[in-house]
Amino acid sequence: MRFSLNCRLVGLIVALALGCLAQQGHPLTGTWSGDWGATATQRHQVTLVLNWDGKNVTGLINPGPDAIPIKSVTVDVSTWTIRIQADGISAEGKLEDLGSYHRTITGAWQQGTVKGDFKITRD
Amino acid sequence: MIRTLAVGILLAIAAYSQHAASYDSDRKVTLKGTVTRIDWVNPHAYFYINLKDAAGTTENWAVEFGNPLDLEKDGWKPSSLHLGDVVTVEGIPARGPEKRALANSVTVLGTGKKLFTAFAPRRAASGSQPAPRWPDGRVRLGAPPGKKGYWGAPSTTALVETTAAKIPMSRDGLLVNLAHADKIAPFLPWAKAVYEYRQRTLLRDDPITRCLPPGGPRAFQMPNGFQFIEQKDLGRILVLLGGGDRNWRVIYTDGRKQGEADEVVRGYYGNSVGKWEGDTLVVDSIGFNEHFWMTAGGLPHTEALHLTERISRPDFNTLKYEVTVDDPRTYTRPWSGGWTVQWVPDQEIQEYFCEENAEATFVR
Repeated sequence: MRFSLNCRLVGLIVALALGCLAQQGHPLTGTWSGDWGATATQRHQVTLVLNWDGKNVTGLINPGPDAIPIKSVTVDVSTWTIRIQADGISAEGKLEDLGSYHRTITGAWQQGTVKGDFKITRD
Repeated sequence: MIRTLAVGILLAIAAYSQHAASYDSDRKVTLKGTVTRIDWVNPHAYFYINLKDAAGTTENWAVEFGNPLDLEKDGWKPSSLHLGDVVTVEGIPARGPEKRALANSVTVLGTGKKLFTAFAPRRAASGSQPAPRWPDGRVRLGAPPGKKGYWGAPSTTALVETTAAKIPMSRDGLLVNLAHADKIAPFLPWAKAVYEYRQRTLLRDDPITRCLPPGGPRAFQMPNGFQFIEQKDLGRILVLLGGGDRNWRVIYTDGRKQGEADEVVRGYYGNSVGKWEGDTLVVDSIGFNEHFWMTAGGLPHTEALHLTERISRPDFNTLKYEVTVDDPRTYTRPWSGGWTVQWVPDQEIQEYFCEENAEATFVR
């Protein structure tokens, strides 16, 4: 019981500490996680790993054996509108709360013929 | 005398700028109330007063009135103020809804005595002497033997490109006119948008307010100063920082080569190697993380940041700091800026731990 409590306490401290280590570089760089789906109950977990190389934002969707390389990411910095293209996937969203540790991108997601919405949060 | 006064004022302004993210200098507040508590603690002393608002409800305000070590040097003591004293405070209120103010003046009613004159000028270096030197003739960046002192009061607290015209801004780097952002540095579009966002949001997300270290050039702009410890036998120079978390940076001068950018462990102060070119210490640094703002005002950078700093001491009381910023993922070309820092003689860097004064937003 005590061990479990200590573990949770350590976990909380680590989580808080990580929360303080905000990435202050390009706002898209990093790992983003969340979900997309056609309805509020039909959701699919999604993870994006994005990186700014000085000219383009590159990355992967769902890194691992079934990773989908991102073909292009365009960013309109006047509105922080993000457009992501990958094989069979098209998404457009708005980056919100730019200065937050856990900023978000929300918008429309299309995978194959299924259209839905998505929300991802920077880890 | 003029020099002494000028340096004193610079120190005062530098100390004030530390508060800029917390207090709204565009507003004034006058508070009249009864002292209920006195916290004479480093780094920021507070007293608390009860006063009645317009509806007759009693409010308790926290009033910050200086650093107790500075106050004691100026002759003030904890007993200068007493519980139950009725005081009038002129000051500036905190940003946001907190009932907190930074005092510019405190007057005890009845006696009319003014307490804790805000930011009294520190004793500063007088006259101009040659820079001290080591027996081998090299310039000393620290105090000569038998003396003490540190570097404080930077001539500016925000890094801007040297070629830029004088751009009006506050000491904490807030532009008077946001349209001047283009002149600050040669931003890539995303970087300019991020800089403008930080400006528009009054620098509220500055990692410094969460006690994260002042990485990069900012380490030489902090209000509490810095000190060089030249360890010639160990081939390194330590930069002890009074601001931030009272931590340090290492500059290796043992002739080692700079590491590979993709292999160094990233940190707030990067991986620094230095060499002397005449009387100038030239420091090459890479390996920065992205967890900090490299100057007040919110200039962004990426892990590709490469700094070349040139540090010299043209006379005893002056340190000249110049930096070239090369970050092709953030700026369209390398660019340079710099400032001078004044010697604060006969004093050590004061004890200061940011965490003791952490904002409520430290963890959110």
